[in-house]
Amino acid sequence: MGKLFDAALVLEYAPPIFLRFHVTLAIVAASVVGGTLLGLLLTAAQLHRTPGLSLAAAGYISFVRGTPVIIQMFIVYYGLPLALYRVGININRWNKLYFVLIAYALNNAAFMAEIIRSAVLSVPKGQSEAAWSVGLSGFQAFRRIVLPQAFLTALPALGTRLVNTFHDTSLAFTLGILDMLGQAQAIGVRTYHVLEGYVFAALVFVAVSLLLEKGFTRAEAAFGRGVKK
Amino acid sequence: MKSVIQIKGVRKSFGKNEVLKGVSLDVKTGEVVVILGPSGSGKTTLLRCVNFLENADDGELTIGELSVRFRYAGKKDILTVRRRTAMVFQNYNLFSNKTAAENVMEGLVTARKVPAAEARERAERELAKVGLGGKRDAYPSQLSGGQQQRVAIARAVALNPEVILFDEPTSALDPELVGEVLAVMRAVAREGITMVVVTHEMSFAHDIANHVVFMDDGLVVEEGAPKEIFFHPKEERTKQFLDRIQLKYDYSI
Ligand SMILES: Nc1ncnc2c1ncn2[C@@H]1O[C@H](COP(=O)(O)OP(=O)(O)OP(=O)(O)O)[C@@H](O)[C@H]1O
Ligand SMILES: [Mg+2]
Repeated sequence: MGKLFDAALVLEYAPPIFLRFHVTLAIVAASVVGGTLLGLLLTAAQLHRTPGLSLAAAGYISFVRGTPVIIQMFIVYYGLPLALYRVGININRWNKLYFVLIAYALNNAAFMAEIIRSAVLSVPKGQSEAAWSVGLSGFQAFRRIVLPQAFLTALPALGTRLVNTFHDTSLAFTLGILDMLGQAQAIGVRTYHVLEGYVFAALVFVAVSLLLEKGFTRAEAAFGRGVKK
Repeated sequence: MKSVIQIKGVRKSFGKNEVLKGVSLDVKTGEVVVILGPSGSGKTTLLRCVNFLENADDGELTIGELSVRFRYAGKKDILTVRRRTAMVFQNYNLFSNKTAAENVMEGLVTARKVPAAEARERAERELAKVGLGGKRDAYPSQLSGGQQQRVAIARAVALNPEVILFDEPTSALDPELVGEVLAVMRAVAREGITMVVVTHEMSFAHDIANHVVFMDDGLVVEEGAPKEIFFHPKEERTKQFLDRIQLKYDYSI
């Protein structure tokens, strides 16, 4: 078995592991795009006057925030085929990755909704009123005045969320997804060198997290120029 | 003379608190109507009902050929009314994500579909008129209160509305900045733009008004020409209010 930890192997395992980075990225992308769209819908439902609607949205959000993502992933993986089978749709032969993408989008939606909602509520009422008073419709006022200001307020929280989403993807391998961690695990099983692969994966996670943080700090400075109170 | 805007029997309650108890107002073309009244008398609420920032419980609004009952106004009516009026707020409410010029352009381009180049030209002209030609690219946070309020006035005037509603436009300003805003408002009035102004600046009100309305406790107590209201008020409540204000004036000078 040789050395317990062989630094040279970190380099040797790096290419095959990094070749699976696109799977990790796909999960992050689904979380961000799906989560943002669903999150906007959830926010709209939550801020809606219909009490049933806002209650349902609030219930969904606290369920998602109150349970580990790995459980949500298993619920989607085992539950969604059952539910859809009832209405005559058979998804049993779907690629596992699809379930993971759906689960992560559903998960991220709840967090996005919280971020969007508090950012929207932080924009003073007078901004909307001024927009209405110059003749903008409700949607135009939201889209052109409220949303850009809310976005600026939300940027730091969005950055943190993105980093967290990225870290959360590390659970997808438990369903047998061959992302970076899935690959590291597979190599470990094959070669009995478990640690080296994980160390490399950790380096990638650190590097990407740092890059994201830097990027968001820059974005805040760029978008916020002159605008901040 | 023709009426620009007429409101009849506006009522508005917040919970059990009836704030407007049937207020009527008739504003003629080119006229400057000044609304006076003690704090809490419902002046702000009245202006906000006119452009539907508050939903009045009852009453009727006529603007041009459009007549609506406040209670039954649909989205389209509300948008129409808002596009024929403009408002200048006590705390300016400039769009903080937009420059001075963009603030003026927003209602033109987005709501009225004026081409951007034409809107920019108009914005620059209106900003120059309020003495802020050099500040077109400044964000609200980079402007003083007085400058922000002048941009807000330019934003309102640029829309070429049938009436501009002013809600205490100088009361959030430091005293040394009040003058510049009042001067701009005088210029707007000289252009013949119809204005409804809520203000506590008595000498300004006296100079600028064609018609003065005194409100108290959700009702119009007395209205008429400035000379009548300021120097020969008929109602006891008007006299008391003017005496109180006058007193404040004497002390502050
Ligand atoms: N959104 C609201 N909810 C509840 N009560 C309100 C609301 N807006 C105004 N009021 C109440 O309505 C009454 C009239 O308020 P309004 O702001 O119209 O008075 P005003 O004449 O403009 O006073 P001021 O000179 O102080 O500006 C006040 O008693 C106020 O507390
Ligand atoms: Mg007021």
